[in-house]
Amino acid sequence: MKELIKKLTEIKSPSGREDNIRNAILEELKGYIDGYEIDKLGNLIVWKKGKKDGKILLDAHMDEIGVLATYIDEKGFIRIEPIGGVSPYNLLGSSIAFPQAEGFVGVEGETSEELSKNIKNLDFDKIFVDIGAKSREEAERLVPPGTFGVYSANFKDLGERLVSKAMDDRIGCAIIIEVFKRSNPYYTLYGTFSIQEEIGLVGASVVAFDIKPDLAIAIDVTAHSDTPKGPKRMSLELGKGPAIKIKDSASISDRRIVEKLKNIAEKNGIPYQIEILLRGGTNAAALQRTGEGIPAGTLSIPTRYVHSPHEMIDINDVENAIRILKILVESDKSLL
Amino acid sequence: MKLFLKELSDIPGVSGFEGKVREFIKEKIKDKVDQIEVDKLGNLIAFKKGKVNKKLMISAHMDEVGFIVSNIEEDGKLSILPLGSIDPRVVLGKKVVVGEKQILGVIGSKPIHLMEGYEKVSFENIKVDIGTTKKQEAEAKVKIGDFVSFAPNAMVHGEWISGKALDDRGGCSLLIDLILEDLDLYYDTFFAFVIQEETGLRGSGPCAFKIKPDLAIVIETTTSGDNPEFPEARRSSELGKGPVITPAHRGYVNDERLFNFAVKVAEENKIPYQIKRRTAGGTDAARIAITTGTPSLVISIPSRYIHSPICVLNINDYRNTFKLLSLILIKEVL
Amino acid sequence: MVEIKEVLKNLSNLDGPSGYEQPVLEYIENVAKKIANVEINIDKHGNLIVRRPGKGKRIALFAHTDEIAFVITKKEFGNYFRIHTFGGVDPKVVISQRLRIHTKEGISYGVVGMLEPHLQTEEIRQKNITFDDLFIDIVEKADKVQIGDLATFDSEAFELNEKYIAGKALDNRASCTALLYTLELLNQFIVSGDIYFVFSVREEDGVSGAINASYQINPDLAIVLDVTHGDIQRPSYPKIETGKGPVLDIGPMIDYDYFNKIKNLAEKLSVNYQIEPNGNHSSTDTDSIQIAREGISTLLISIPLRYMHTPYEVVNIKDIEETARLLSFFLARGGE
Repeated sequence: MKELIKKLTEIKSPSGREDNIRNAILEELKGYIDGYEIDKLGNLIVWKKGKKDGKILLDAHMDEIGVLATYIDEKGFIRIEPIGGVSPYNLLGSSIAFPQAEGFVGVEGETSEELSKNIKNLDFDKIFVDIGAKSREEAERLVPPGTFGVYSANFKDLGERLVSKAMDDRIGCAIIIEVFKRSNPYYTLYGTFSIQEEIGLVGASVVAFDIKPDLAIAIDVTAHSDTPKGPKRMSLELGKGPAIKIKDSASISDRRIVEKLKNIAEKNGIPYQIEILLRGGTNAAALQRTGEGIPAGTLSIPTRYVHSPHEMIDINDVENAIRILKILVESDKSLL
Repeated sequence: MKLFLKELSDIPGVSGFEGKVREFIKEKIKDKVDQIEVDKLGNLIAFKKGKVNKKLMISAHMDEVGFIVSNIEEDGKLSILPLGSIDPRVVLGKKVVVGEKQILGVIGSKPIHLMEGYEKVSFENIKVDIGTTKKQEAEAKVKIGDFVSFAPNAMVHGEWISGKALDDRGGCSLLIDLILEDLDLYYDTFFAFVIQEETGLRGSGPCAFKIKPDLAIVIETTTSGDNPEFPEARRSSELGKGPVITPAHRGYVNDERLFNFAVKVAEENKIPYQIKRRTAGGTDAARIAITTGTPSLVISIPSRYIHSPICVLNINDYRNTFKLLSLILIKEVL
Repeated sequence: MVEIKEVLKNLSNLDGPSGYEQPVLEYIENVAKKIANVEINIDKHGNLIVRRPGKGKRIALFAHTDEIAFVITKKEFGNYFRIHTFGGVDPKVVISQRLRIHTKEGISYGVVGMLEPHLQTEEIRQKNITFDDLFIDIVEKADKVQIGDLATFDSEAFELNEKYIAGKALDNRASCTALLYTLELLNQFIVSGDIYFVFSVREEDGVSGAINASYQINPDLAIVLDVTHGDIQRPSYPKIETGKGPVLDIGPMIDYDYFNKIKNLAEKLSVNYQIEPNGNHSSTDTDSIQIAREGISTLLISIPLRYMHTPYEVVNIKDIEETARLLSFFLARGGE
């Protein structure tokens, strides 16, 4: 499992450039699926037939947040814009991986007061990327405008805690892959690996349209409250189990799905948490809105430092999420 | 190229009230297309058959930013709400037209003599003066719900054009020119003139749902920022440097294959072009992508001061955008 | 049969937070079945669709049934918990309120208390209150309360000066009442239309159910019923008053032809009406219904309401009556 997570998180695929991660996911699923399709937008849809009429859909998004190189100045410094929720603060002291160069972020400041002020109120207007180029031409050759970059950060195994960029949402992808590998589905199981979630739930807005599943569950990361002076109104702790989402700021989970997941966890002694996320959303919102409507919810992995280069999860939460989903997928109970 | 841009600029067509723009466009193209129709919400869709059965939707929006009359005050002045995103400071001291009857009005501004220090502007204290002094008098001429549009003011200055609503009459004009050019279209092509883009990318969704295109190109008239008050590194595009091809914007990363194809065609044919440098703002490409899962690309004519009563556009950029699109529409892209 | 005051009070007292509207939907279904010969359908999201079959245009009326509410998010020491909201609530109005909490083992009660003034420092006195400052003191069955339990204001609806009803959730139970009364009034007509009454879910928060219902029904005309601010002066807006009749909304999300038709009808019937402008958004389901599928002609009619999203909202009974009267004639004529 750790190998799979390492492999997926280290792939560089920001929103809109998901080819690499899609190929890797498809590679992993070979032999465990009955068929797959890549739709017009680039979403990957896989399935495994069940014994009974009925469809369960599990979704994870393939893309990670990143940056877009937009302009090179005469000296070879690069300007960037965020793709998804990258905070400029997360770029200070870390580096950016472009396909052909590594970039380091600097901050404008003609005086020490200005520099101080800029750092206090940092935004993309006040930073630039240095790839060590000595001229505009050199920089343009390596990172032409229109090039996408991601956090440059490797996977780290700390034992039960794992740290990497893009746990959001490669961990969801890994979980779904494992569910396909380990389960014998009762109903037909669909796995959708969606594009461009970070920039606006784009892929998930259409991915389930033709499938029309009876229920859909997004597997994504959620926040945490278990660090010093952490968010005071949430209760999400690493290691206490996957989180069954009641609501976030984009959607309210279908209550029948919440009940279903809770029952499975309780009946099988699997630790879980109940999640109310104050700010943030998942593909469940887009899935709910599809066509005539799809009952949807989210099963989340509590994560620290979301949208930073070093997102931290607990491997037990991941294993327990897989356990819950495997039971769901193999259960012969009626779907809703 | 006919370049009906000046005429199009002068027509009032605020979001939700695009009728007159639609009529003008329909007149110009109806005999040059295989099919033409107006859908339920008012989008104008013109169809020209191509060589293959795959569908390409190429769109521009007919609406411009403006206002709606929200209240008729006791003193005969009109309160307004913006339609689209407008900086309230650009509306001071402007001539406007109100409603179907196109009643003339002025958005007045307090004389400097009477001001104490800087007075902030907000839509709450902006009123339209149509010359009436009592509520009843005004009610005889206009109603709550009437549109308010900046008055027509387009002028051609050689290679430049200044006027209102160049966003996105520039795109509309370009689509007309592409239709009139009678290109050897590769795809079955739907030329869509859509409504209510400025109020939330609204018309393009139902339009795409109807057409179900395999790929889409959105023609916009986009931001620049190439003026002395705005740092070069923060500009979105520059006038005179050709069509703007967008890698990503709010809500959508444009399809990589379409993006690379457009760049390739520009380079191979030595058409000057630019990569859009800012990701701010959204377009119908996002709406189309999330409605029908259609890979989309935005190609724009760069413009200055959009969303204000007077925008500026360079006709050379228009010409080069036209050239680029004429070449793209006759080729296999995906 | 539909005694407006009784129905409205009953609806107000039922608890139906966004996503958890069942008690409200059950009550409405029972009332509807008693009034007329209708077809009942519950769609994928739980929207209650009451169809009054007929020949002619397909007209769908929408009223959302959910109310703003609260959710328990974290346990503190003793009987104290933290809360978050479903929908937009001013935290100040929750101070010194009692909430009723729906636990797995029945209703429990909690007090959102405020520190007594004697102990308050200047800083506490001047603070701009947010939900991070509030806590709930569960005074009953505290051990049965769990994270994820939902709560509503513990209001009981009552009459004000015989003309008004005060209570929680009149947004949007007033509209639900108006629709039920309209259904009853239709019994006196020969109706030239196939009429759908959609009692929808999750408008106040999350992904609205009405979008999918409109997709499914695909009506020729959609009429959304919601509430709007009454008896409060908003700059640049006309003053909308309770007791002055239904509000006909206008703006780019409204079909101007149908607007003129219903306005003319109101004048013919001597129904007092008011007009309310909308700019970029109406902040109701109208916005998304208009652009569903290939587009739907839409109208928005609002009932003036005081103190929206507070424990005691106030509506004038006459406004509900007149709204229903206007609608019934309009529907009978097939929207002409």
